[in-house]
Amino acid sequence: MSIFEEISSFLQSGRAPKVKELVQQAIDEGLEPKQILEEGLLSAMSIVGDKFKRNEVFVPEVLVAARAMKAGVEVLRPHLVASGVENKGTVVIGTVKGDLHDIGKNLVKMMFEGKGLEVIDLGVDVAPETFVAKAKEHNAQIICCSALLTTTMPEMKNVVELAEKEGIRDSVKIMVGGAPVTKEFCESVGADYYTPDAASAAETALNICLAK
Amino acid sequence: MTHKQLFEATLKREKVGGRVPTFELVFFLTMEFMGKVHTSQRCYAQWYQMSAKERELQLQDMADSFIEPAKAFNHSAIFIHPNPSDFNSVKRLLEIIREKTGDEYFIMMHGDTTLAIPDGANMVDFSVRLYEDANGLIKDQEKSMANYFEFAEKINKNGKLLDGFALCSDYALNTNPFFSPAIFGEIIAPVLKKTIDGYRERGFYTIKHSDGNLMPIMDMIVQCAPDAVHSIDPQGGMDLSLCKKLYGDKVALIGNVNCGLLQTGTDEQVIADARRSLKQGMEGGGGYVFSTSNCVYTGMDLERYKLINKIWFEEGIYPEK
Repeated sequence: MSIFEEISSFLQSGRAPKVKELVQQAIDEGLEPKQILEEGLLSAMSIVGDKFKRNEVFVPEVLVAARAMKAGVEVLRPHLVASGVENKGTVVIGTVKGDLHDIGKNLVKMMFEGKGLEVIDLGVDVAPETFVAKAKEHNAQIICCSALLTTTMPEMKNVVELAEKEGIRDSVKIMVGGAPVTKEFCESVGADYYTPDAASAAETALNICLAK
Repeated sequence: MTHKQLFEATLKREKVGGRVPTFELVFFLTMEFMGKVHTSQRCYAQWYQMSAKERELQLQDMADSFIEPAKAFNHSAIFIHPNPSDFNSVKRLLEIIREKTGDEYFIMMHGDTTLAIPDGANMVDFSVRLYEDANGLIKDQEKSMANYFEFAEKINKNGKLLDGFALCSDYALNTNPFFSPAIFGEIIAPVLKKTIDGYRERGFYTIKHSDGNLMPIMDMIVQCAPDAVHSIDPQGGMDLSLCKKLYGDKVALIGNVNCGLLQTGTDEQVIADARRSLKQGMEGGGGYVFSTSNCVYTGMDLERYKLINKIWFEEGIYPEK
């Protein structure tokens, strides 16, 4: 078994200390940081995401795998920076104004990170002004809005409208999701993408960033 | 037959005939409906600084905020949100509701002892514990169970103030349960079963609530033998007809009127969904309580709730035997 396969195996079973140790070992062996990231960490997280999408694993398994990936990335980060490896894209994410729920948003955030995207997490109860300002500040390709409540969903429309007003609508895609959100609702508020689960959201976000 | 008798008969899945019972786990729109702040949204920072008379008036006022919506919308059951939640305040609130309504309503309160989906801030640590500290999590739940059983026994010494417990820990998201079936079976189901058995031994009914898609763990939930499962969440893809077919002989079902649609749909869609729920729920002639798939939540248009309640009133009647 190659060291990448070992990293992948331990990441998939959520063994953070072991992943950390193996990533350090790979660095010490002189392997390329980008290769460690892509063939060890991100590919493993993709497998977890695919399994999640097929209902073969459940949220806690995804979360412990994401924690293991984060542990590996922390070891790797200085080496990635030194070798000039960039993120695959930047996403601004938050739960919309008036809504304090964060589990879905946090899960999506972890799946985004598992695809190698930089995620700017604005937290919960985020005003449209904050979504747009942070997207501008970080030159994000995507604004991702989450809502659990039917009563706060309309805030997504305000984000879309403000992005248009502020002149960033052509450069940023707007993704929406959350328990009551549907494809029809996404279209009705003028957002670009709706995905029903975190794994699909991550795939969609990666495709958006790679297409830009 | 009183509302309580109708509700209890439905929990026992008896073919009662007449009207299908209805209730809501929470009716938050008390301000719009009757000019009162919902009890869960009140802040009694100076509760024990109040005179006994003042506290009694506050509790009388709280009791009214549970009773009046039940009366107006023909609910068969009342779910109380005690606030403050110390024993004496809860007991007095229950006494007042009984004093004002006799034995008319089935009264329940929260009593889940099992783990729920954590919030976003704690979900990673919580997930790690699922794998590394299963015994610790089981002990935590059993400690909570012991506390609830102590409360149940204490409240029982004061007459039949309370009829049941709603077990409100959410287990599922729209797409799937949060917990894998293996983890649910190992860590949660055994405590859920003990909780339900323990309440039953002490004379209480249990209603297991959870949002989301419960189907991968529904067999295990039903095997724990709650009297009813609430909310049969259509946003989580829960199919009331299928649930009736698979579980209707073992457990009563409550809910399934799409609460999201009450906010986003047209009147026609809302009416159609209420009719669908009634039709599917009434299959077999019993064991169904008409309700939204969550509650009458803050921000809902009261008129929308009145609309489904009207459909229920006009059409939620079992055919003559």
